[in-house]
Amino acid sequence: MKKTTLIGIGASLVLAAATATADIKVGFIGSLSSDTGLSTLRGAEIAVEELNAAGGVLGGQKITLVTADTGEDVTEGIKAYEYLAETEEVDFVISGSIDDVSLGWLPRMQEYRIPTLDTWTSYIGIIDMIVEDRDAMRPYFMNIASDEALATLYISFGADVLKAKMGFESVVVLAEDTAFGQAITGLVTEALAPVAGIEVKDIISYDINTVDFAPVFAKAQNSGADFIYQISSVNSQVMSSQYVKLQVPMAMTGVNVSALGLEYWDDTGGNGGGISTLSPLPSVGFALDPVSQAFVDTYQAKYTSRPKIPHFNGFNAYHGLKQAMAAAEEAGGFKDVDAWAAAMLKQDLILEKDGQLWLRYGFWDYDTVEPVTGRTYPHNAYFDLAPPYDFAQPSMVVVQWKEDGTVGVVYPFEFANTEFTLPSWVPEK
Amino acid sequence: MFPIIIQGLLLSGLYALIAMGFMLIFSIGRTLNLAYGAYLMIGGYVYFWISQQLGFPQIVGFFGAIAVGILMGLMKHQFIVRPLKGHHVAVEISTLILAVVLQAGIVLVFGDSSKILLPIVPGVVRVAGATVTYSILTATIISWLIITILYLFVRRTHTGRAMQAVSMDQKGAAISGVDADRINLITWGLSGALGAIGGAFFASYTQLSPAMWVTPLIISVAIVIVGGIGSIVGTLIVAHIIGFLEVIVVSVLAPELRGVSTMLLIIVVLIARPQGLFGRAEN
Amino acid sequence: MELRQRHLAFWAIFIVGLYLMPELVSKGTLRTMIFACYLAIFAVSWDLLSGRTGYISFGHPFLIGIGAYTTAILTKRFDVAVEISIPIAVLVTMIGGLVVLLPALRIKGSYFALVTLAFMELMYQLVQVIRPDLTGGTRGMSGIETLTRGAVNGYYLAVTLMVILTFAAWLLMRTRLGTALWAVGMNEESVRGSGLSSTKLKMFAFLASAFTAGIGGAFYVHYLGSIAPRALFDINFLFTILVAALIGGAGSIIGPVFGAFFLVFLLEWLRPWLPGAERYFIYGGIALLVYMYQPKGMVAILESLYSRFWRARS
Repeated sequence: MKKTTLIGIGASLVLAAATATADIKVGFIGSLSSDTGLSTLRGAEIAVEELNAAGGVLGGQKITLVTADTGEDVTEGIKAYEYLAETEEVDFVISGSIDDVSLGWLPRMQEYRIPTLDTWTSYIGIIDMIVEDRDAMRPYFMNIASDEALATLYISFGADVLKAKMGFESVVVLAEDTAFGQAITGLVTEALAPVAGIEVKDIISYDINTVDFAPVFAKAQNSGADFIYQISSVNSQVMSSQYVKLQVPMAMTGVNVSALGLEYWDDTGGNGGGISTLSPLPSVGFALDPVSQAFVDTYQAKYTSRPKIPHFNGFNAYHGLKQAMAAAEEAGGFKDVDAWAAAMLKQDLILEKDGQLWLRYGFWDYDTVEPVTGRTYPHNAYFDLAPPYDFAQPSMVVVQWKEDGTVGVVYPFEFANTEFTLPSWVPEK
Repeated sequence: MFPIIIQGLLLSGLYALIAMGFMLIFSIGRTLNLAYGAYLMIGGYVYFWISQQLGFPQIVGFFGAIAVGILMGLMKHQFIVRPLKGHHVAVEISTLILAVVLQAGIVLVFGDSSKILLPIVPGVVRVAGATVTYSILTATIISWLIITILYLFVRRTHTGRAMQAVSMDQKGAAISGVDADRINLITWGLSGALGAIGGAFFASYTQLSPAMWVTPLIISVAIVIVGGIGSIVGTLIVAHIIGFLEVIVVSVLAPELRGVSTMLLIIVVLIARPQGLFGRAEN
Repeated sequence: MELRQRHLAFWAIFIVGLYLMPELVSKGTLRTMIFACYLAIFAVSWDLLSGRTGYISFGHPFLIGIGAYTTAILTKRFDVAVEISIPIAVLVTMIGGLVVLLPALRIKGSYFALVTLAFMELMYQLVQVIRPDLTGGTRGMSGIETLTRGAVNGYYLAVTLMVILTFAAWLLMRTRLGTALWAVGMNEESVRGSGLSSTKLKMFAFLASAFTAGIGGAFYVHYLGSIAPRALFDINFLFTILVAALIGGAGSIIGPVFGAFFLVFLLEWLRPWLPGAERYFIYGGIALLVYMYQPKGMVAILESLYSRFWRARS
């Protein structure tokens, strides 16, 4: 080969290598087979595409997205994080992991200090860790309202709808025997009676692998309460579908993680009518502002397999990734974690619908105390716990699936597009 | 009181059907088919696919599941049990690996999410204070039917008695002219069929998910350990013990102890009477 | 105990090779090797009990979990120093395992496997139900003290641990005890008939196994920095240990080490090509094929290659 050709090839290789290492790498960690993981991944993919199309970030660099599958397994999650950090050497991690898995790789995040955004995990314990040790947890942000915020607003639902409209005065809690179940049970039972005036008659804790819920429902009925508060994040459909099939003559609402997505109706074969659950925003059946709607339109044009509409964490990933990049612009990159975190705390995206604040993507700082719960939520997403919801969106909405397969928001009233009703087989009080 | 009896009977019927196939392989083939739970899973998914996704009538779905179950059983015998020449450990481990592979396969084809099956027969009926779905009533009745047929088959027919012989003493049976290999083949096929139909029922009661093979496997293991080798009647009785134990613990004690109680029962029985309540003492 | 030169040479090369790794491979690969080392320790602990005697234990996650939870609870909840909590964890594993599994040793064959499986399931249920304030319940605990920082240090610790435990186990099995255990596996009656107490033999193997499992579990949890019941008392974890030991070659002690490395690396190498669930499918499929081809494991495959090589020479 001629010398000039060799030099030419050598030079372009060097150039290619230089631009390649100059890319910004984002790592996705989560399950590649679940609706949850895919929502976050796809939200991130769309954000990356849009940013690259607009000319890249940090001086025109392109963003590449790599993935590490966790299979919703804790040990695999740790391996996945190590892979992203050491083999792929990512600059930023976007996570669609579930609570358990996040807790698994959290020590690694602290060791590697890679800026990380969690879009689904809502465990308040992690926010407590941030309060306790700011420095160790500096790179971590959670842009879904923590479960304490979710449960707190639920009490208002209890007061405004269950007590005031439906006339319910007592509840029996049916919680799965997991850490999540116990935590929410604690939060709800402490506040339900004093704030909403609803008496907790009994707390029934069930094993997540329960095959037959008929005895459990029988126990619930024997408590004499007016309604059942369900707390279920694992195998939620078993309990709720048996509730429907057995036509349990009590109203039931609460937390049912499986009912958060549009595929719920298909997945339950239609045995999901009457089930209501709290859901982070934007939920199914939630009216969207123009920006979020545009995101959904892009999503649906691009992806044909489930989930048909991204779950709330997809929106979190989309907006969150863009904010993380903006923060990096301000801090000169991801390497200086303190600077990046400070810039990330300042990120504030307000989305309006019909001239009023509809959704807000921002983060609480270390010192601002949230008025209703009286505590801080550093690095947690903004939420509002009392009307008129003009500071941020409510931490959650309550959605209800109707027996014809439609779903709508029933609470808070400012966002409602349907009413909370009893299933057809439950007798009026 | 009555609701507990009714719920116990219904649940136990389901458990009995599920455990039957596992017990057959353990008694006659002398192996722990740890992929047995996979029969249930595949049976459930085939039933779901045929009757819900493709839209055929449910009965077609059932027979489809049975057919696939038999096929799986025969193939396992052919490709795993035979080549390993009955080294029990090797077969057990291979079946365990197979179960994990099948689970991954299901995730690839159907995705990770759980699905609820349409009830076999919609509607509920209230009997003596307990609410009972027609679905589980049907499942339990059919389970009893199948178990009765199985019992008659094993006791009355030639093949059935050959199976009993092999289960007691393989060498002795061979000497008296029983083709142990053919019997094993039939047993595996039968076990696959039972597992598949059990899976369709189990899934229509709880849910369909790639990880659903673990719980029924543990239940089958529990029943077989406590009941002991070789007895259909024994398995039936123990299934009722375990089913009732579960219902009583959930209704009367604490629902969260459901899993613990079954495990404790196994351990207590094994230590006190290792051959199981109805088994033959192994020498 | 006969130690041929070639054995010692093999060990020397093996150990030197392992210690040179940080110079030769990337950090990402080191991380994978760390997991492989721990899996090797678990597989060896399984092999000590089940490899030769044929008493297939499905309960090893149970032992590993006891060791892990003990040290996790002591260090995180009670602020006990790691130097104390780890030995305590090993002791607790051995005692707890003894109390629980020893009666089970009276039971033969497949029943033993089932009992141990039941114990594992029981632990899984119990950890969630009993004192979740201590154990962290289903969520487990995060933020457990780690002994090392970084891939290289973690690697050296893991490798040292594995080398010591494996070498000790290997030496142990080369004594008459090891031969006696093979005999128990082949025909327990004759062992008893020749005057040896098969119960004492099994108990010894069991204690060695529990010891290894306890140490392995304790150091493992201090490496991970977190603990969850689903990660430990899980059929998939059991499956990984068993397959590692069996694919490597049950009874040989070295075999399980090979098997562990093979499996862990196989799963990680597939990651860039098959990011999602396909990985497990292929991985399981390959494991099954390898195992069915030679149920005696890779050690047997290597030995047959080796002897063919020698035969070709002479």
